[in-house]
Amino acid sequence: MPNHDHGHVDTEGSGDYTPGYYEILERSLAELLVEKGRIDANDIRREIEVLDSRNPALGARLVARAWCDAEFKKRLLANGRKACEELGITSYEDTELIVLENTESVHNLVVCTLCSCYPRAVIGLPPDWYKLKPYRARAVKEPRTLLKEFGTFIPDDMAIHVSDATAQVRYLVLPQRPIGTEDFTEEELAKLVTRDSMIGVVRLDPVQVHPGEVP
Amino acid sequence: MSAQNRDAADWLPNDLGGVATAPFERVEHPMLPWEKRCHALADVLDFRKIISTEEKRRGVEALGETTINKLSYYERWAVCFANLLFAKGVITPEELALKMAQIEARFNRSGE
Amino acid sequence: MPSVQSQRPPMLPAPRWADGEAALFKAGDRVRIAERFPIGHYRVPRYIRGKSGMVEAVIEPRAVNNEEEGFGRNAGSKRHYYRVALPMAELWQGYAGSARDQLKIEVFETWLIRG
Repeated sequence: MPNHDHGHVDTEGSGDYTPGYYEILERSLAELLVEKGRIDANDIRREIEVLDSRNPALGARLVARAWCDAEFKKRLLANGRKACEELGITSYEDTELIVLENTESVHNLVVCTLCSCYPRAVIGLPPDWYKLKPYRARAVKEPRTLLKEFGTFIPDDMAIHVSDATAQVRYLVLPQRPIGTEDFTEEELAKLVTRDSMIGVVRLDPVQVHPGEVP
Repeated sequence: MSAQNRDAADWLPNDLGGVATAPFERVEHPMLPWEKRCHALADVLDFRKIISTEEKRRGVEALGETTINKLSYYERWAVCFANLLFAKGVITPEELALKMAQIEARFNRSGE
Repeated sequence: MPSVQSQRPPMLPAPRWADGEAALFKAGDRVRIAERFPIGHYRVPRYIRGKSGMVEAVIEPRAVNNEEEGFGRNAGSKRHYYRVALPMAELWQGYAGSARDQLKIEVFETWLIRG
């Protein structure tokens, strides 16, 4: 059975680049689909631009707005997709967004045990660990132990709610606003929000110093 | 009615909730250009209504445990697309093989 | 003298939902995940089969049955999905965490049994 080459990792276009079997497969499929008029010559390039435009900064804006504006937060929790549109963030067709609010009594965690469903319209593409077996197997069975491996300790008096995405709903965690940010602007707040806090594997640390201040 | 072990025919290889697993590692790698193109291709196939996201999921499951474990995430997608496009009569295995040879030759020439 | 009844206009037929249009369950309903073991494509993980919990929300709008969608059939099978909350202690024997820890998951209507 042929041992398909998984690719020689080198800079493309350097002339020394040897694409692996699967890259050649991917390129071939794309070219054939264009030749047969099934897709346009520009489709993939345009879609890459869309993918590049989706990153955690979008989700961070939603979170910061929710922290600053109680009415927006209500709308965000009621219908995530519509609230995204208020900020000019479009969603992928046939998906809905449910935003899960972390509180003093509940910590939320997101996983897709069956594949890798992820709120990519608002935070971009998922990290490898999210897509691999250990996370997917353990998040739904031993979330507290798993979170410790991220350095996150959820006390016993808090409940953990794990959401397993299996259909058209995507989940985004609304982390608790860090202590010490009472004077922060919405823009400054958005800079504090990390991708991992919106998956729910970490909480946001208290802030010691306001940006621009000397500690 | 159903066997309890994970090798049972009705337990999909991707159905991982609660199964025994290796230790968790917080691994991330920057996406390779071809992987990003592959993800873009998936989205294009979906909005062009050629292969839906759900068909892709089913197609990856159908690769079976052995192949799934041998291939990386996007390698699985690429193979899945080929299988589904054959089944739908969009391309033939021969067309694909010829095109792959053509593209490989292109790279060999540019390396000279 | 004609009876009042004979002077009333004919009653309009009551509105009828097409099969599958009205949500079968509502938030707060107790449900159990069916114990079926289909071959091939499914989106209801093994670890919740046969387990009981509560409907947290009806997901709108209705959507295609993803088990059928996986085979490219996208018409005529739209029903509701439900966000179901299942206690972790119900899912795993000897669950080591808070009794209030929960698992939440979307389930297609045909996989849910009342009670």
